[in-house]
Amino acid sequence: MSLAPILANWRFLTTALGVTLALTATSMIIGIIVGLIAGLLRTYGGRVADVCIGFYVDTMRAVPVLAILIWIFFAFPIAFGTSIKPFTAAATGLGLHIAAYFAEAVRAGLLSVRPGQTRAAFALGMTRLQAIRVVVLPQALIRMLPALGSLTTITIKDTAIAAAIAVPELMRQSQIIAGQTYRPFEVYTFAMLVYFLLCFPIARFVDSRFVRLAHRGAS
Amino acid sequence: MNLDWSVVWENRGALLEGAGITISLAVTTMAAALPLGLGIAVLRESRWRVIRLLTTAYVEMFRSTPLILQIYWAFYVMPVALGLRLDAITTALFGLIFNIGAYNSETFRAGLRSIRTGQHNAGMALGMSPFQVFRTVVFPQALRRVLPALASTWISLFKDTSLVSVIAVGDLSYASLQLRSQTFRVFEFLTAMAVLYWAMGYPQAKLVDHLHRRFKVTE
Repeated sequence: MSLAPILANWRFLTTALGVTLALTATSMIIGIIVGLIAGLLRTYGGRVADVCIGFYVDTMRAVPVLAILIWIFFAFPIAFGTSIKPFTAAATGLGLHIAAYFAEAVRAGLLSVRPGQTRAAFALGMTRLQAIRVVVLPQALIRMLPALGSLTTITIKDTAIAAAIAVPELMRQSQIIAGQTYRPFEVYTFAMLVYFLLCFPIARFVDSRFVRLAHRGAS
Repeated sequence: MNLDWSVVWENRGALLEGAGITISLAVTTMAAALPLGLGIAVLRESRWRVIRLLTTAYVEMFRSTPLILQIYWAFYVMPVALGLRLDAITTALFGLIFNIGAYNSETFRAGLRSIRTGQHNAGMALGMSPFQVFRTVVFPQALRRVLPALASTWISLFKDTSLVSVIAVGDLSYASLQLRSQTFRVFEFLTAMAVLYWAMGYPQAKLVDHLHRRFKVTE
């Protein structure tokens, strides 16, 4: 047991942690934007949108992240004659994957707001768009918070899969150091600890925030 | 781009064999993780603080770190730390079982807690032993409530088995990646892999939705 391999490579590992965080943030932004649009369209967009987005969501639920990332990185460029950077491929794949789960959370949130609320908004002379924007969505967004928290930790954990397409994030760089120093025990245990310290407080933090905010989503 | 799909058909045996390993990994993991999860869930309500602390630490550790890292850890660290040398597939199973066991325990715990204490008290009043109350009153009701959540975990597990390919267990993703490098038919094999996962996972995702509707808790 020795901490030398970690201390000697701390700068390398800090950069890797930065990449993990940047990948998480980029994927989450893609996931939230696409997921919000998909969730709204599926709820209010009529039959065709419901079927199409339902197919997208269930496909993302059925295909492993690894298969999606590898397909985007290796197969997609062949089909379209372009090249794609590992980070871009990973952010796109993870983002589209998270978007499907977030879309479901959005839909559940929107549907959980009682129809009486929408009817009341109509009675006040609001248009459909106004009713959604002013009455339904703000309440639904607060109710989605717990789902958003767990999706954040899921995304952090899933960024480790991007190691398979050589994104220089924490998992990948840990593999490199473990291989160079022949110290897998220390390096992987350290990586385990770092992921734990990232994910565990986030889950707790979002839960505690939600307790403070929950009354604003209640109706 | 010239595509040659015949090469996929010629290697269908290897792909289907990989798919078979994927299925048996998922089935074996779930079969072991269900009793493990139930055991942990019961132990977390234990009278002794040490047991509660240890089981909580186990669950939070496995839920807050990436599965791919857990599999690496099991593969590289377990042999060094415990002097235990197992083949790749057993190591993969260990990683998967402990991971899914942690998630199942949370599901069971939520289910068991959702059964009102009046049910327990009524059983005791009828002269049942605590174990009898658990077996005939509380557990059957809890199981019905957690069935949809367990089914969702099953879907994630089915996808997560793809991660064992990193330690060279010959599941569907490993078989596809091997064929890709042997034949240089990258697009064809990666697409075949995604389609096969989709074909297996999509009906399961639909079935889970059905279970969610069927066993919805309304109080």
